[in-house]
Amino acid sequence: MLSREEWLPLARKLDWTYSYVREDEVFPEVISGRPWLPHSEWKDWEESFKTSYREYVDNQYEKDMAVQAVHDAVGRIENVQKLALPWLNSLKVHAAALPLAEFTGVIGNLRGARFGRDSAWRTMATFGALDEYRHTQIPLLLFHPLLRLDSQFDWAHKFYHTNNWFAVAARHFFDELTLGQNAIEFHIATNVVLETGFTNLQFVGLASLARESSDHMFERMVTSIQTDEARHAQIGHPVLTTVMKHDPKYAQYLVDKWFWRNWRLFSILTGLSIDYLTAPDQRPYSFKEFMEEWIIDQFLRTLDEFGLEKPWYWDLLMDELDIYHHMIYASAYSYRATLWFNFVIPGPAERKWLRQKYLKYWDDMDAVWEQISERWRTVGPGAENELAVHGTAMPTFCDLCQLPLSAGTPRKNTARVLVHDGRKYIFCSEPCQWIFLHEPERYANHKDVVKRVLSGEAPGQLPNLLTEYFNLTPDTWGKDAHHGDYEWLRARKDSAA
Amino acid sequence: MPVPLYGFLEGDTVGLLILADDGDTLEVLAQKLQVAASLRVAPRHRVRVVCNDKTMDPTMTVAQAGLQALDRFDVRSG
Repeated sequence: MLSREEWLPLARKLDWTYSYVREDEVFPEVISGRPWLPHSEWKDWEESFKTSYREYVDNQYEKDMAVQAVHDAVGRIENVQKLALPWLNSLKVHAAALPLAEFTGVIGNLRGARFGRDSAWRTMATFGALDEYRHTQIPLLLFHPLLRLDSQFDWAHKFYHTNNWFAVAARHFFDELTLGQNAIEFHIATNVVLETGFTNLQFVGLASLARESSDHMFERMVTSIQTDEARHAQIGHPVLTTVMKHDPKYAQYLVDKWFWRNWRLFSILTGLSIDYLTAPDQRPYSFKEFMEEWIIDQFLRTLDEFGLEKPWYWDLLMDELDIYHHMIYASAYSYRATLWFNFVIPGPAERKWLRQKYLKYWDDMDAVWEQISERWRTVGPGAENELAVHGTAMPTFCDLCQLPLSAGTPRKNTARVLVHDGRKYIFCSEPCQWIFLHEPERYANHKDVVKRVLSGEAPGQLPNLLTEYFNLTPDTWGKDAHHGDYEWLRARKDSAA
Repeated sequence: MPVPLYGFLEGDTVGLLILADDGDTLEVLAQKLQVAASLRVAPRHRVRVVCNDKTMDPTMTVAQAGLQALDRFDVRSG
């Protein structure tokens, strides 16, 4: 019998010369990706984990048991009920956005498992697919039963099956990143940019937020997922090295494109969770501090490692750290019934904290929160007044990222209109327009929510849009978690009287 | 004739879809946007409508200003 050291390299590197078909028929460029290179250029593809299937199963079993043990100990409904209200809503955001996005990662990895250009790459992508399946199942297992506590947790299963505007944006992103992607772009965009650049570190950050919020179940879940990501994220690095060698301009384009596309979704999911949906006394850092310390430094090191330049929009991105997620949160609060989780207004103490962390543009954001608070003061608190403190006009969306046109600052929104092939498009920012113009055939036929309304595909009246198109109900649509009943607001009203 | 436009009010956090009439003056158009955004931005008395970086005459109609479906207009202070 062969020893592990003898059979594993043989099993991992099982490539051969084809005699019945050409190599480009086995690995067509359209699905394997470009640049198309003969296998001789990929044969040195290597990663450091070199796991066997048996080792993989043993490791995953141990990890699953650890998650199960924590779930049994602290993951019951009565434990979740003790969590702070803002954090509970952060959980609803992740419960919806995470599981089925991970499932699209199964498909992307399976594409790599078949169309990756070296056997070792295909072996690792098979494990990657199993990882992502696990990352689908665990959050579904943990979050969906919380439906018994709160009907908004139904969105753990439901979110990606709806035409909710945020689901449209998330699907647009994951459809391109994973479901409809060739193996090379998938592994660079997912492993190098999304996982190494964002989620690997995001999960460390989220685990620390969860710990501060005493949510040990969520902390264990993201920690467990992160250990898988750290392994399978290695797939992308040797792919990027080879593409850099043969087509550095294309490699730079892929990294620039996907860093921006990731940033857009990441800043919403993580930015809102850190700066608004974690109780103020449980915030270990601001989102901007987290980005600077964890994401930006690491990304710059990755660029250096591969000999890549900073993306051309770097200064713009640095500026967005101060404002983009704040613009989104205030906009989303004022259209909260279009979402499936509840919101809180930052009170005076929080706004003081936010001003310290985001001095550059906070005055403009503070004016917005004053105005919203004023509306609650005028109509009075109460569930019956929710819609009196809610936007009525249709918000607008970017034709690339599909997110609200909330880029720039309150003084200067950076949205831009483009006429392309006789059709009008609007983009939230220059990078979104730049991505569109690089591959218009990929994006041009997709309709954002506004265009669906204008074409009659979606209802134009807000109540119908919420119920018939966004699949929300009065029970599940987002509300102010306190229905406007804040102690600081009452105190102001009393002093005004 | 109704003309859907992208409206951006200075001080606001999101662009809004404003259903204008091509006979609306730009003053009326500005008012429509201010009302639509009033949850987040207190309405102001003195505002101007800006299209393609040019301040427009408020008495012009949407049609005269050359605004067509899905164009952008801005409403700014002053």
